[in-house]
Amino acid sequence: MPLLAELVPMSTEWLYLAAAVLFIVGIRDLSSAETARRGNLLAACGMLLAIVGTLQHGLIVKWEWIAVGMVAGGVIGLMMAVFMPMTAMPERIAIVNGLGGAASGLVGICEVIRHVIMRPEGSTAPEFSAFHVGVAGLEIMLGALTFTGSMVAFGKLKGLISSKPMTYPGQNAVNVLWLLAMLCLIIGLVTGDLNPVFFFVLAGMALLFGVMFVLPIGGADMPVVIAMLNAYSGLAAAATGFVLSNKVLIIAGALDGSSGLLLSLLMCRAMNRSLTNVLLGAVGGPTGGVSGGDELQGDPQSISTVEAAERLFDARRVIIVPGYGMAAAGAHFAIRELADVLKERGISVKYAIHPVAGRMPGHMNVLLADANVPYDDLVEMDVINPEFADTDVALVMGANDICNPAARTAEGSPIYGMPILDVDHAAQVIVIKRSMSPGFAGIPNELFVAPNCAMLFGDGKQVAEQLIETLSL
Amino acid sequence: MKVVVPRELAAGETRVAATPRTVKRMDRAGLEVHVESGAGEASGITDEAFSEAGATIVGDRAGLFAGSEIILCVKPPDPETVTQIPSGAVLIAVLDPLIEHEVVSQLATRGVSAFSLDMVPRIARAQSMDVLSSMSTLTGYQAVLLASMALPGIMPYLTTAAGTLHPAKVLVLGAGVAGLQAIATARRLGALVWGYDIRPVVKEQVESLGAEFLELIDTSDAAEDAGGYAREQSEDQAAQQRRAMTAHLAEMDAVITTALIPGRPAPILLTTEMVEAMKPGSVIVDLAAERGGNCELTRPGGNFTSDGGVTILGPLDLHCSVPAHASLMYANNVANFLLHVCRDGRIDVESDDEVVRGTLVTSGGRVVHERVLEVLGATES
Repeated sequence: MPLLAELVPMSTEWLYLAAAVLFIVGIRDLSSAETARRGNLLAACGMLLAIVGTLQHGLIVKWEWIAVGMVAGGVIGLMMAVFMPMTAMPERIAIVNGLGGAASGLVGICEVIRHVIMRPEGSTAPEFSAFHVGVAGLEIMLGALTFTGSMVAFGKLKGLISSKPMTYPGQNAVNVLWLLAMLCLIIGLVTGDLNPVFFFVLAGMALLFGVMFVLPIGGADMPVVIAMLNAYSGLAAAATGFVLSNKVLIIAGALDGSSGLLLSLLMCRAMNRSLTNVLLGAVGGPTGGVSGGDELQGDPQSISTVEAAERLFDARRVIIVPGYGMAAAGAHFAIRELADVLKERGISVKYAIHPVAGRMPGHMNVLLADANVPYDDLVEMDVINPEFADTDVALVMGANDICNPAARTAEGSPIYGMPILDVDHAAQVIVIKRSMSPGFAGIPNELFVAPNCAMLFGDGKQVAEQLIETLSL
Repeated sequence: MKVVVPRELAAGETRVAATPRTVKRMDRAGLEVHVESGAGEASGITDEAFSEAGATIVGDRAGLFAGSEIILCVKPPDPETVTQIPSGAVLIAVLDPLIEHEVVSQLATRGVSAFSLDMVPRIARAQSMDVLSSMSTLTGYQAVLLASMALPGIMPYLTTAAGTLHPAKVLVLGAGVAGLQAIATARRLGALVWGYDIRPVVKEQVESLGAEFLELIDTSDAAEDAGGYAREQSEDQAAQQRRAMTAHLAEMDAVITTALIPGRPAPILLTTEMVEAMKPGSVIVDLAAERGGNCELTRPGGNFTSDGGVTILGPLDLHCSVPAHASLMYANNVANFLLHVCRDGRIDVESDDEVVRGTLVTSGGRVVHERVLEVLGATES
């Protein structure tokens, strides 16, 4: 191998360049369900080239260790790919992120030990400059917090840790101060005012910070957190690249960091949240507004448009339950079109019209008639309620109180005794909604956390259009 | 329990408090329904239809009320009818108790437990009993048809070989139930529609029906009270609003006003001056005519054409012009209410239920409704 490096000058750099191109093309392909498989394959090829490139770097100390690492890692990776079910994808990503972060952190620590702590007496080699110290500090911090943060996220997703948000007063202030303290440590290390031993203090603080910043976040918001952690692990990898002067790590890390950040931004937008809200770790449920006893027992599960489309695709009978959210989003035309697409596939589609759906009597009728929904498809509550039990998917479109099971059971609730649509009797319920916010009556809806219910967050019109697009592929 | 449904005696009243369908529901619930002969005539419901549904048809009024326990009416009973109601009976009707003090005190004196369905709280589960909401649905729809008939043109935008017809511009003031229904109906007739309300929260609701929300002045959340109704505005705000409104009015072909404040005269939204600014041939339909009207020139129950050629319609009880649907909705509201409050064959007037507390006006010889007592106290002192 070293021979090859001599024969082909700069072959490592060429391989890295090819790897970087493959990463970028791969990520581009991942943005659409059609090309995602190819994208994944391209990125994997890129990774292979990057590994080959690194192996002929010429600075290899012991091949045995590399072999052990590759075999162990390869076997674990293969087992995860084969045996972990697709539904456990978020957990898997959490683990991979966390391990990536841990790797970056460990590399950082090693480099610090090698160049700063164990530095030969009297050596004045400028090899590890102040810049390197700073980047190594960032690398250790990001790597460590990504590791523990991801492990907590994994625990929450897996149910090992309560997925309810754990909060205490002044949490955000503590977190921000903690973060500032870590940054101060890095500055101190760069200027040389602090003993290099403080690198370990930094690592310890970052490990704790990872836990502190994920604990207050509720289970339903975990996807956003995972995307954020993904970004952090990418940044950690990029920092590693700077420390090791490894270009492909910088490129891959930057790609990973920016795509993670973009993904979390998109998810925030879909959930009607700002990024600051997420960055401060206060994403666990509506902040402030929740009073005691009003909280939901359990966590809503959120699904993607593609998953929702699959469920609709597999259904034989679908009932659409429109509410004021559909009217406010102006989604009635899109919903009609969605129903048409489903009908073309031989799926039976009906609309369940609750007498108080919307903000005026007949609100749904007026809008759906405007969208040319046949009157025969609109079914009154009393007639359609028995049919839910025989329905595969109840698609709740911006409706809330009119399908809240609290009306049946929760005595003292403002809607107690109101007849509701029995959507929870359907095999599966998909709720399209902008956020978890309550409806007109101002009370939370247990339906959203029912085991057979999945939340599809987003603007009603956009979501419906995406569903149509996915189903028409 | 004996439930009686008398014929409505008030002039122009076409509704009836029960339909064959609600008779059946009450019958199933173990109530014995007696309907006065001819009660459903104006709504197109024959005595036979009622008796087929299980009601007993009674010809003489005194016999009808004798031994009755629950009386279902539309309008408040006249003084003579009140004397026929047995003491201790339950009356369900629309009493308008914040305004009609006389009938309230008569019913109290008579010892009648009177529920007034126009006082149903605006909460989700009581929607099925909310008569104001059902009647407003009909009046909102009808108001647009009235306006359309009174307009010198038609409403939609048509480009034809004989020239282009520009769409009518319709402004709906007050986006409550009637206002929203008017907006939806005008849109369906092809007009360009604007909506306005002092409660900024309804902007989204107006827009959800495809209309535009007219932004006049800075609005605040304070205009909606806890019950979901509009509150009276301060003088200053109203003046500002009028100035801004005048400019918009000059553009409109039809204006439908629906602003009502419970227990108060209707607020004036359109002054004489503002009407003068409107185009000749334009039409105002004032749905608040019963409470004096939202327009200064409104003649309740009549039509009026201003010097500037603006037609102002002040219809009363517009829902009575569609008696079949008005009766259907009203009777359903009544039956929903009755079956809600009547548990195990009796009506508990002491119940803590929000719906009972909100609607029970008189009981045990006294006026018991808090807001009605407040109004009564204010007028006495």
